[in-house]
Amino acid sequence: MKKVLSLVWTVSANAFAENVRNRFFTIFAVFAFAAIYASVLAGVMAVDQEARVLADFGLTLMELTALAYALFNASSVLLREAETKTIYLVFSRPVPRWAYLAGKLAGSLLTSALMLAVMGLMHLLLLKLRGFGVPPAYAWALFGSLLKLAVITSFAYFVSLFSTSAVSTLVISGIFWTAGHFAAETRFLAEQSAGAKSLALNAAIWLIPNLQLFNARDAAGFISPAAFLSAAAWTAGSYLGALWLVSRKEF
Amino acid sequence: MQRLALPVAALLAWGSGSALSVSGYRSVFPPPSEIRTPVAGAASDMLALALGTRRLFADVWFIRLLQYYGSGVFYAQEEEAPSFEWLESKADGGHHDHHDHRILNGGGKYPRFLAMSRHVLEIDPYFTVAALYGAGSLAFNMGRPEEAQELLHYALKYSPREWKYLNVLAAIGYSKANDPAAVAASIAPLLKDPDCPVMLKQQAAFLNKKIGNYAAAAAIYADIYTTSRDTAYVRNAERELQKLAKTLSAGARSGKPR
Repeated sequence: MKKVLSLVWTVSANAFAENVRNRFFTIFAVFAFAAIYASVLAGVMAVDQEARVLADFGLTLMELTALAYALFNASSVLLREAETKTIYLVFSRPVPRWAYLAGKLAGSLLTSALMLAVMGLMHLLLLKLRGFGVPPAYAWALFGSLLKLAVITSFAYFVSLFSTSAVSTLVISGIFWTAGHFAAETRFLAEQSAGAKSLALNAAIWLIPNLQLFNARDAAGFISPAAFLSAAAWTAGSYLGALWLVSRKEF
Repeated sequence: MQRLALPVAALLAWGSGSALSVSGYRSVFPPPSEIRTPVAGAASDMLALALGTRRLFADVWFIRLLQYYGSGVFYAQEEEAPSFEWLESKADGGHHDHHDHRILNGGGKYPRFLAMSRHVLEIDPYFTVAALYGAGSLAFNMGRPEEAQELLHYALKYSPREWKYLNVLAAIGYSKANDPAAVAASIAPLLKDPDCPVMLKQQAAFLNKKIGNYAAAAAIYADIYTTSRDTAYVRNAERELQKLAKTLSAGARSGKPR
């Protein structure tokens, strides 16, 4: 067991290092520029609500920046490894497919966590420079973003194994992300409708993960243990689905 | 059978996540049927829901409301900001000779003010400052207390224990009864709250000055001067403090401090 876990760790550390080498930190510069620009605008337009606007803008920008990188990475990494034949080299060694996939996923999540942490520090520094403190439930908002990213990244891995290109994976995952935020509205519509329409909407409620569960940023609250378990279950579901597809592929 | 193990396990894991979500989640936001989107704002509302960014888009709508109302224009030109029609009618039998900010603000009656204020709350019903700002402006600046009450009742639907809304509702009630001292007393507990909009502080200061409570008015203006980032309010507070200092020192000399 220890040997297998060490294998997963090696793959994830390798994936993480690859992301770092991929100059993903240039995104931080983009984030910093956008945040500073927004702070100048917010100071002029929002006057006494500058702190709130800066906090909301920063948290949203962080989540979307990390999402863009996570989806780009998840949708292309397996395809790229297959095209460059790197994956053959890995599987020629005693590395089980499940460990390889778990390592890749863990590497992606580590990268997302690092991105959120660094951008969060930059954001807090900017707020401090403008004379504001830490916004309420800030850590929960970041943790919620990480849970969302875990769900969508694992789903993108799953999709990338049957889609024809990285672009189609990006599009499908993007739609899934959007639909995941409409969970409350979908439930409302399901309650209002009847027959086949209600059936279809109820099916959607079960098929699409409710990303609003983790939206502590909007609800200014905390993440419940049930929400955390849901994230773990959805991530595991996508991982197992991806593992099923990987196990059927000839490498 | 073994070939089916992984997809079955995946479906079971996914289903358990959904089951937990279905049983444990109740939305804290207004349903879509309550959102009355202005035609020009449909795209931003869609984005607010699709990206889970209600707070950010509520901020955007609030900024639009501020721009619509253009408070800066008013305060830069006319210090006696609030249009206390009810107070004036008590003081001079209904004759209005002060500058009405509605004229200074392009002569508008801000017909969309309630709709825009309400829309901010439809997107984020927990945006307390927006509710207080909207209700305060409607009730005390525009003389539309019924609309202010409607807005506060909508806000109370989602935050029924919010004492600040209840205090402003009480203040509106007293304003209808032409009791400025009671209005000032109802607003007073809000003034030290971080959610209190500077506009409401300005109203309280103005009211206290009007009823002769100069020390309280000076304290509120001093608070505006030190805490607000709105230069128009800060400049106005500075002017008022200078005037009040003269009044208070004159009162002290005559032995009748207020």
